[in-house]
Amino acid sequence: MRRPISLYGLTFSLPLLIWQVLFFVFPLVFLVALSFWTVKNFVMRPDFDTVNWTTMYGRTVFWQAYGTTLALAAAASVLTSVLAFPAAYAVAFKLSDTSRRWAVFLMVIPFFTSYLVRVYSWQTFLSDNGIINVILSWIGLGPFVMLNTVGATMIGYLTLSFPLVVLLQLFSLVFIDRTLIEAAHNMRCGRLRTVFEVVIPSARTGLVIAALFCFILSFGDFVSPVYLGGGEPTTLSILITDTTKSGQQWPRAAVIALTMIGTLMVVAFVAVKFAYKGKSK
Amino acid sequence: MSRDTLVSFEGVVKSFGNFVAVQRLDFEIKKGEFLAIMGSSGCGKTTTLRMLAGLEAPTEGVIRLSGKPINDLPTWSRDTPMVWQSLALFPFLNVRENVEFALKMRGVGKAERRRRAEQWLDRMQITEFAERNISQLSGGQRQRVALARSLVVEPEILLLDEPLSALDAALKVRMQSVLKNLQRETGITFVYVTHSQSEAFSMADRVVIMSRGNIEQIGTPQEIYRTPKTRFVADFLGSSNVFTGTLQRGSAGSGIEISTSVGRFDLDLPNNSNPLGQSATLTVLDTKTQLSHTRPAGANAVPVRMIGEEFVGATATIYLETSDGQEMRVQKGHQELAELDLEIGQSLFAWWRKEDGHLIASS
Amino acid sequence: MSGAADMNRNRALDWALVAYIVLAYAFVFAPIAASFVFSFNSDRFPSIPLGEFSLDWYRAIATDPLVWEGARNTLMVGVIVGVVSTLLGFGAAYTDYRYKFAGKQVYLALALLPPTIPVIILGLAMLAYLSRVNLSGNALSVIISHVVVCAPFAMAIIRLRLSQMDPALEPAAWNLGASEWMAMRHVIVPFCAPAILGALFITMAVSFDEFAVAWFVSGLNETLPVKVLGFLQGQVSPRINAIGTFVFILSMTLVILAQLLLSGRGAKSAERE
Repeated sequence: MRRPISLYGLTFSLPLLIWQVLFFVFPLVFLVALSFWTVKNFVMRPDFDTVNWTTMYGRTVFWQAYGTTLALAAAASVLTSVLAFPAAYAVAFKLSDTSRRWAVFLMVIPFFTSYLVRVYSWQTFLSDNGIINVILSWIGLGPFVMLNTVGATMIGYLTLSFPLVVLLQLFSLVFIDRTLIEAAHNMRCGRLRTVFEVVIPSARTGLVIAALFCFILSFGDFVSPVYLGGGEPTTLSILITDTTKSGQQWPRAAVIALTMIGTLMVVAFVAVKFAYKGKSK
Repeated sequence: MSRDTLVSFEGVVKSFGNFVAVQRLDFEIKKGEFLAIMGSSGCGKTTTLRMLAGLEAPTEGVIRLSGKPINDLPTWSRDTPMVWQSLALFPFLNVRENVEFALKMRGVGKAERRRRAEQWLDRMQITEFAERNISQLSGGQRQRVALARSLVVEPEILLLDEPLSALDAALKVRMQSVLKNLQRETGITFVYVTHSQSEAFSMADRVVIMSRGNIEQIGTPQEIYRTPKTRFVADFLGSSNVFTGTLQRGSAGSGIEISTSVGRFDLDLPNNSNPLGQSATLTVLDTKTQLSHTRPAGANAVPVRMIGEEFVGATATIYLETSDGQEMRVQKGHQELAELDLEIGQSLFAWWRKEDGHLIASS
Repeated sequence: MSGAADMNRNRALDWALVAYIVLAYAFVFAPIAASFVFSFNSDRFPSIPLGEFSLDWYRAIATDPLVWEGARNTLMVGVIVGVVSTLLGFGAAYTDYRYKFAGKQVYLALALLPPTIPVIILGLAMLAYLSRVNLSGNALSVIISHVVVCAPFAMAIIRLRLSQMDPALEPAAWNLGASEWMAMRHVIVPFCAPAILGALFITMAVSFDEFAVAWFVSGLNETLPVKVLGFLQGQVSPRINAIGTFVFILSMTLVILAQLLLSGRGAKSAERE
C-alpha cells in the first residue's frame, strides 16, 4: 500500500530532518568551505585557496600527530577490547539473570557522570603524591611517575570507552545461540578452545563494532591526552585546539578536522566490512 | 548387563530445583539398534538424551557407556555426538568447515580431515554445497550437513533430538528413509528423540514411551502398537478403542470377562493372572474393530451411533458414539465402507473377536 | 545458572571470571567513588590518608555566583534540550516505524550519526558555522548543538518502544473510525508515554554532561561542565569533585526516574495486554 505524502506524515518526519540538515550537515559542509579560506592579520576571509591543505600536509608536526593519534587509538581499541572481553564474557555466561541485569545497570552509570570529572579523579590516583604512589610507598616501592605519560593517556581512553565496549560485547555475547556452544563441546571442543572457535566468531560483528566505537572515541578525544598525558605526545585533537587558539587559524584546524573525519570514515568502512564479512543479508 | 549393551541407565534421576524432569530411569540401549524415545513435550525425553550427551548431569544414578560410568565425564570427553533440534550448525563456517570441525578438535591433520569430510559430504550428497554458507542451504540440505558433521568421526552412537521437526511433511518422510538406511548401513547405534509416533514407529527397532519423567513402555513398534502396557500408552497412540471395567468370571461359567458401562466383553485369557474383581482396561485396535447393522453372534458387540467420518487416503475413519457418550473409532477401506452403506446418525453395532481384545491390568 | 552440566564447569575458573568482573567494575567506579569521597575532604591536593571531613568545597561552589549562574544555565539548557530532542526524536522514530520511502537510509543516518562524530570536530564545526550565522555565544547556540547530539538518543529509545507495539494497533484504530491524528493522540502517544518520558530525562542527563561542544560554542553563558573545564585549565581544585558529585546525583536521579518509567510502566501495560 503506497500512501501519498501527507501533511500528517511530514509533521513528524520533517522537524528532525530540517534540524539535522541545518545544524549538523551544514556545519560539516561549512567546515569544508572553511578549509579553503585564508587568514590575513588575524582575520578570516572567504576564499578558495588550497594553502591551508598544503601548509598542514607539508608539516612534519602534523604527520607526527597523525601517526601518534592513529597508533594511540588503535592501541586503545585493542587494549580495551582485550580487557573488556573477559568481563563481558563472564557477565554473559557466568551470572544469573538478575545479576546480569544489575551488571548492565551499573555499567550504564558511568555514561551519566562527567568524563571530565572522572579524568580529574584519575589525576588524584596517578599523581606523584597520589593514591597509588602512597599505597606503593607503604610496601617500600616507588614513587613512580605515572601522570603525564602515555600509560596515563591509555587509562583515560579506557575510562572513556571501557563501559561502552563491555556493553556492546555483552549484547553480542548474550545473543549467541547456546546450542552452538553445546554442539562444540559435544564435538570435543574444550572450554577455552570453544571461546576462540565458536564464541568469538559468533560475536564477531559486535566485537568489531565495539572496537570501532573505542577507536572513534579515542581518536577524537582531547581530554585524556591533555589532562592525563600532559599534552605529550601531541595528538590531532590537541593540534586542533592549539591551531584555533593561535592566530585565528580556524581554516587550518578545519583541515585537521576534515582529515580526522576522512580517516574515521575509512576505518569505519573497513571495520564494518570486516564485521559483516561472509554474512548474507 | 548383556554383552550387546552399549548404554545403560541405572536409577537415573534428574531434577531442576523442585521440578523433577526424570523420575527414575532403568533401561538399556543395545549395540547397533535404532532406539526412539517418544513422548509429549515435558515428558523428560530430551533431558534423558542430554544426560547421555553430557549436557546435563544426573541428580542420582549412573549412566554407563560400554560398561564404564560416564557421569563425571564432561561432554567433550565423551564420544556421544548429537544432532540438535535447531541443528546448531555454525553460521560462521561453511559446509565443509562445519563437517571438518569435530576432526579438527581431535587434532586430525588437514589433508586427512579434508579426505574424511569429503567422504561424508559425498555420502550425504552435499558435495556440491561444500563451500556454501549455512544460510544458503535449504532445510533438507542443512539436515544432511548436521548428520555429516556428527557422523564424520564415525562414532559408536549418535544422539538425535527431534532433528526433523522443522521440515515439511514430504521432506520428513524422505529424511526418515535416509536416516533408517544410514543407520542400517553404518551399524551405528541411533538414539532418536521425537514426539511423533509416525517417525518413531517407521524407523526404530525399539521404542521407549515416556510420560512425566517415567518410562511407560519399552518394546518393538509392533509390541507397543498391539499390546500397549498402560492406559497412557493406549491413549497416547490413539489407535485403539479403550474400555474400562471390572474383571469377573465369564457369565457362561468359564473364561474371563470384563464388565463395563456399555456391556460385558469376553476376553481371550487362557492363563489369567489378574485378580478378579479388580478394575482393568480393555483395548481393541481400531483396525480390528468391525461394524454391522445387526448384532453379530459370538462376538463382543457394542451398540453405537455413527457421528462422523473422515477420509485420509485409502482408508476412512468412522467416528461412533456409545450409549454413555464415549467415542469410538473404526478404520475401514473404501470398498468395505461402500458395502456397509452408512449414514450419519445411524444406529449400528461395533464388534470384535475376543482374541483381538487386549487387556491392560490396572496399576 | 542452569543449562550447563556440572561436569562441564570448572569452579575455579568460574570464580576467577567473577573476580575479574569485580575488578573491572572497580576500575570503572574508582574515579567516580574517589571524586565523591574527596568532595568531602578538606585537603587542597587530595590523596590518602584522607584529611578531615569538610563541606568546604560545597561551600565554595555555593558561594560562587558564577557557579550558580552556570547551574541555572545548565538546568535551563537541559530542560529545553530535553523537550526539543524528545519531540524531534519521537517524530523520527514514528517516521521510521510507519513509513517506507526512498532515501530512508540517508534519513536514518542523519537521525543517528551525530553522536559518533568526535565532539571536538563537531564543536569546531558548530562554532565556526553558528558564529557565521550570528548564533554563537549565547544559550541558544548551546541548545542547538546539544539537540543535534541528543535527538538521536531520544529517537533510539522511542523507536525501541514502538517496535514492541503490535503493528495492527494503529490500523485497528483507523478501522474503528479514528483519523490519523486521533489514532496518534489516543493510541501511539499513550503507548509510547513511558518511553517519551524516559527519553526526556535521558536527553536532559546527556545535556548536563555534554561539555566539549559547549566549550567551543558557548561564550559568556557557561554551563556547569564548561565551568569544570575552566577549573581544569586554570588551577586544579577539588571544587570539581563537589560539582561532579552534584551533577552526578542530578543525572542519576533523572536516569533512575527514566529507568522506572521504561521498565515499570512498560511491564504494567504489557500485563494488561
